[in-house]
Amino acid sequence: MSDEAITPRAPGKKVPFFSLTRVWTIATSTVTQLVRMKTFYFLLAFALLLLLVGNVSFASSPAQALSTLKKVSFGAIDLFAWLFAIVATALLIPRDIEDRTLYTILSKPVRRGEYLLGKLAGVLVVIGVSLLVMFVICSVMIIWKQAGYMADEQAGGGRPEDIQAALSLISKNGFRIELLAAVYGSFLKASVVAAVTILLSTFASSSLFTIIISILVFLVGHAHSMATDYWLRETDSSMAVQMLLKVFKIIIPNFQLFSFSEGIVAGAAVAPAVLAQMTGLTAGYLVVFLFLSLITFVDKEF
Amino acid sequence: MKTLFRKIPKWILILIGLAIFGVFRAPVEDDLRTNLVSDGILLPPPAKDALGQLNQSALMGTLGGLRTLVSSYLVLEAFDHFSLKEWEELRSDYKVITTLEPRDENHWRDVVWHIGINATANMEVDESIPQFERMRRFNEYAVAAVELAEEGLEQNPDSAVIRLQLAEVYRGKLNDPCETARVYGEMIGLRDSPGYVERFHGYFLAACPGKEREAYEHLIKLYRESENNHVASLIINIKDLEKKLGIPFALRIPEDYPPLPGRAKGASKQENTDGIPDFTEPPGK
Repeated sequence: MSDEAITPRAPGKKVPFFSLTRVWTIATSTVTQLVRMKTFYFLLAFALLLLLVGNVSFASSPAQALSTLKKVSFGAIDLFAWLFAIVATALLIPRDIEDRTLYTILSKPVRRGEYLLGKLAGVLVVIGVSLLVMFVICSVMIIWKQAGYMADEQAGGGRPEDIQAALSLISKNGFRIELLAAVYGSFLKASVVAAVTILLSTFASSSLFTIIISILVFLVGHAHSMATDYWLRETDSSMAVQMLLKVFKIIIPNFQLFSFSEGIVAGAAVAPAVLAQMTGLTAGYLVVFLFLSLITFVDKEF
Repeated sequence: MKTLFRKIPKWILILIGLAIFGVFRAPVEDDLRTNLVSDGILLPPPAKDALGQLNQSALMGTLGGLRTLVSSYLVLEAFDHFSLKEWEELRSDYKVITTLEPRDENHWRDVVWHIGINATANMEVDESIPQFERMRRFNEYAVAAVELAEEGLEQNPDSAVIRLQLAEVYRGKLNDPCETARVYGEMIGLRDSPGYVERFHGYFLAACPGKEREAYEHLIKLYRESENNHVASLIINIKDLEKKLGIPFALRIPEDYPPLPGRAKGASKQENTDGIPDFTEPPGK
């Protein structure tokens, strides 16, 4: 073999430190992966639940019926969001290892941080789309029931001002565009939960472990501000107790703060500034938890 | 430095990272929480005694941020108790419900309706319970309903629906026209108040001893305000008050007593023994 036959390889292109295209590619493949897991079938169960609640006549008034319908549907939306965030995120990395997809991905010029970010983005896209679809289903149901109650009220007769008062009460408990902010609240909560889960899944030995610990962290994160109040009231508030509570407070995320959707569903008005602050806080959680996940994941051997 | 970084176990680095982030976010979160609770966007933590009454799954649900779902489930359970006339169980369910969601006026309205109207009505008719016990429980439920309504109004000071239910209890169960008038009076101008509250305030004021002059002035103002207010009950009340207060004929309203079901035209309204106007009672009964 002569030397002329060997063509020297062109030097490889320098891989950029961070590429949104690569992150997006991983995110879209994660979305496909989750869709193939038939996650959207949950929407069918959700629609059935709404039909059931919407047609159970235990409420004492149309306002109460609408209020219950809203609470159950938005409660179910919130439950779906955080539970899905935990389960989907906990399953993704182990599934990639099991399918050996992870080796293929990491053998390409993809940085580990991009992989984690792509996975998280994929989960959040699926959660976002599901939440929007659920919001639409729920809104249609509420508007439909509300229109029915209003028509009944008008057909019932009476003095115009009394009918107006009854209609106003129904409207107050019916559909409001602010409910979209409640769904956004559930999305923010799910985002933080997903970020916590991705951190846990980077050093967990199994998906089951990740799911259980994530749920535990979620419950503790939800209850710790409540528990702190009681503990300080019931105990002697010694230095040791206070230190322990502070440790809990700074280590575990405060998920109770993200439950503001309950207040919006109950009728409270929310200012855009509050949503902006919550978005900023969520972004902080995502950055920090992704960075901490990367510390474990960066030199993990598979 | 890199070697030192690699020597430190990962979990320690993560804990340090969490702690640093926690130190920065904790004060921000505390401020946000205070603002959200005061704006009514975030529900305040449930009271300790309410948590004690939750069963294990409900407690987990509550701690897990599913307060609205837990309370909706308890509303269903309470409805079941209502169907079975289990008033004590119903009351304890609503204690938890209203603690979980104190700002939902519908829950307060419902518990006042259940205890103040349904439970008391049940005591009036349930012959399986001895008479003295029925009377005792009737009073207990009526008073409890008033207390619940007041508690609900502390949480929802502008609620018309709770006041409407409270007025029903004062009017139908405690036969207290003065308190009924007071509650209807408080409802005037509140959002969601039905249009009749202004007139009802006057009717019950008319039945409250010593408040006749005030009632007359209120009702005559409504009468002059709009022809839409010239309903039979208003005219009857004004005419009765004119007689009672000895208003000069020149100042009296021109209308005669309007005909009402079971009552001849021109006949004065009857009052039952409690002084509550009863427009359905035929004259001479």
